[in-house]
Amino acid sequence: LAGAPLGSRAAALNHHAAAFPLPAGADLSRSALVAPLLDLPLAFLREYLAEKKHLGGLLILLPRNISAKNVEGNNDDKGEPKNVLAELEKLLMHEEVPFPVYFAFHDDNLDNLLADIRKIASSGQPASASTGGYKLVVPSAEPKKVSSPTISNIQGWLPGSKGEGDAEQLPTIAIVANYDTFGAAPALSVGSDSNGSGAVALLEIARIFSRLYSSPKTRGKFNLLFGLTSGGPYNYNGTSKWLRSFDQRVRESIDYAICLNSVGSWSHDLWMHVSKPPENPYIKQIFEDFSDVSKEMGISVGIKHKKINVSNSRVAWEHEQFSRFRVTALTLSELSTPPEFLESTGGLYDTRESVDVESVMRTVKLVSEILARQIYGLRGRNIDVFADNSSLAISPHYIRSWLDLFSRTPRVAPFLQKNDPFIVALKKELSEHTTDVHVQNDVLDGMFTFYDATKSTLNVYQVASVTFDLLFLLVLGSYLIVLFSFLVITTRVYGPIHFCKHN
Amino acid sequence: AQHQAIRPRRCPGAGDDDADEMTVFHFLNCAVLTFGPHVVYYSATPLSEYDTIGTSVKAAVVYLGAALVKLVCLATFLKVPDANDSFDPYQELMKILIGFIDVAGLYFALTQLTHRNISQNHKFQAVGLGWAFADSVLHRLAPLWIGARGLEFTWEYIFQGLEANANLVMTLSLAALGSLMWLRKNKPRTLIPIIYACALLLATMPSITSYLRRSLEWQTPKVVGFELFSSLVMAFISWQLFSACQRPM
Repeated sequence: LAGAPLGSRAAALNHHAAAFPLPAGADLSRSALVAPLLDLPLAFLREYLAEKKHLGGLLILLPRNISAKNVEGNNDDKGEPKNVLAELEKLLMHEEVPFPVYFAFHDDNLDNLLADIRKIASSGQPASASTGGYKLVVPSAEPKKVSSPTISNIQGWLPGSKGEGDAEQLPTIAIVANYDTFGAAPALSVGSDSNGSGAVALLEIARIFSRLYSSPKTRGKFNLLFGLTSGGPYNYNGTSKWLRSFDQRVRESIDYAICLNSVGSWSHDLWMHVSKPPENPYIKQIFEDFSDVSKEMGISVGIKHKKINVSNSRVAWEHEQFSRFRVTALTLSELSTPPEFLESTGGLYDTRESVDVESVMRTVKLVSEILARQIYGLRGRNIDVFADNSSLAISPHYIRSWLDLFSRTPRVAPFLQKNDPFIVALKKELSEHTTDVHVQNDVLDGMFTFYDATKSTLNVYQVASVTFDLLFLLVLGSYLIVLFSFLVITTRVYGPIHFCKHN
Repeated sequence: AQHQAIRPRRCPGAGDDDADEMTVFHFLNCAVLTFGPHVVYYSATPLSEYDTIGTSVKAAVVYLGAALVKLVCLATFLKVPDANDSFDPYQELMKILIGFIDVAGLYFALTQLTHRNISQNHKFQAVGLGWAFADSVLHRLAPLWIGARGLEFTWEYIFQGLEANANLVMTLSLAALGSLMWLRKNKPRTLIPIIYACALLLATMPSITSYLRRSLEWQTPKVVGFELFSSLVMAFISWQLFSACQRPM
């Protein structure tokens, strides 16, 4: 970031394996440490990074079910893997790590390997070339810089119906969500909650409004603009570029924008984050709508105001980019405080188990009802437009299948090509519900530089020690000497004598 | 913005260098185990004194020829083994018959080649040595070169080397019995069937070991142990037979 190296840029690994508990006098600069997540003391790692000590490599084993909500055992265990992982990721992402760090999931082979390493280590000798043991090898070239990391913003329109006498452009309401992620291990950053939930909610909203807008009789007098943006973790760089690409008139026609961020794991409380003061009449109106609908739904929506500091380049919420273009916007999120840089961007713990379909459904219902009130002028009337069991009901199956897909796909923007199948799939899906679908490709801000090599194959070899080879040579040498002597005695010495005797 | 490339420092003499040396070491060890005894045999016995290297070389060439003939016969007469790997008696019989080409080769090397004035005693040793050395080179050198230098340690090549030792002993025994059968005219009558029986046993030894490995599913250490033991037993029997036949009638 801006020239300062963050994280690990080493990929090749070729060292003997070591594990906790470490034998005394272990030289870790020539060892690859294999540690299950919960056994890795963060203080140890912090010490190594702070004092710039050399470590051959680190292999962290993750439990298969990281953020399982119903874990048996006492309550303390429930959040532990998640918290430890979050802290570990923060440490790895914000410090310069001079050795390769790999993540792998626990399975039988790795567990056996770990047990074996511990057994060897308990015999008191540190792993090195002279004592044998296991060797971890990752044959990987030096990671190269990703030359021009692209961000792809996908947009689609649901045009409203212009009446006979309407000469001017119809007002637009924008629904926006960023679909990309970032984490310490990019190949594992599936970001189900941040922001898979927001993107899936956007798709569902697009789907049900496309049903309404398909018939001219039920088409509202508002345009709806749907935007799946990229570059979210990097101060919403993509959103800014996307807005810049608009014609000024189009931008000015946007009444307001609703940005969705992390809406997949809340039960009762949602937050509306704004940058304009709550006293602003537009904000007040929108918040009233939110309050009305939320009361009917039995949930609560709070409002949080955060002023934009133009001199600070940090953009914590997506709506701030809209505000910089003087477009009224808000972010709907379960997070109550703005996330730090590279926080809540879909890290290792943010897997499928950390979101649930019901939360996304509730969010979709909330936003859709508010939009319907605005578009169709239903304020004050107690009408449930998207009632369950109606033809406009929110579909849990749709949400579930898209959440599953998002949770299987790591989506770190610099590693997603322009024509990545996932981006094509999103474009295709948006084209099903909206018209005028367009993908805007741009290059990520030069302040960030990314290095590739996100996934590799680990080879584990069982090696014999040099001591073994020397011993073998000794035995072999003795055998050959004995053989030589035996042959000399029997053929040259004994043989002729034997022959003579019989003669 | 300036981008500073930081390369991870490689400590001098890092683990990977040690590993490369280690595996070449292992290769050398196994090579000495496989081919050393042949060299030792040649230099320890009077063979080196009488300069019988020519005989050994000729025997090695005959071996290669016999191996080629065997290969062609195997390709022609044997079917591709099917997946369930059942014991087909006809296939096994075919393999044994083709194995007798080895015996024919030994016969040719012992009787038909012209050797300089070498006593019968040394002749069979030289032929046996050359034969066994060619066998080891053909079957064991390439796997050794490719495999033993790998990073992962296996006992495989050590077992292969022990097998080569057993093979040397068995070949020498077979050559001894061969010279008794075909070169010595006056043998004690009672011993003749024993000689032929032992020769037959030695000739079919490869089929016996493959049967043990495949059908009885013996593990490699067991098979190698059996080979070493049986080679010593056969060598002793052959030695007794040979010395019995040395006695003048």
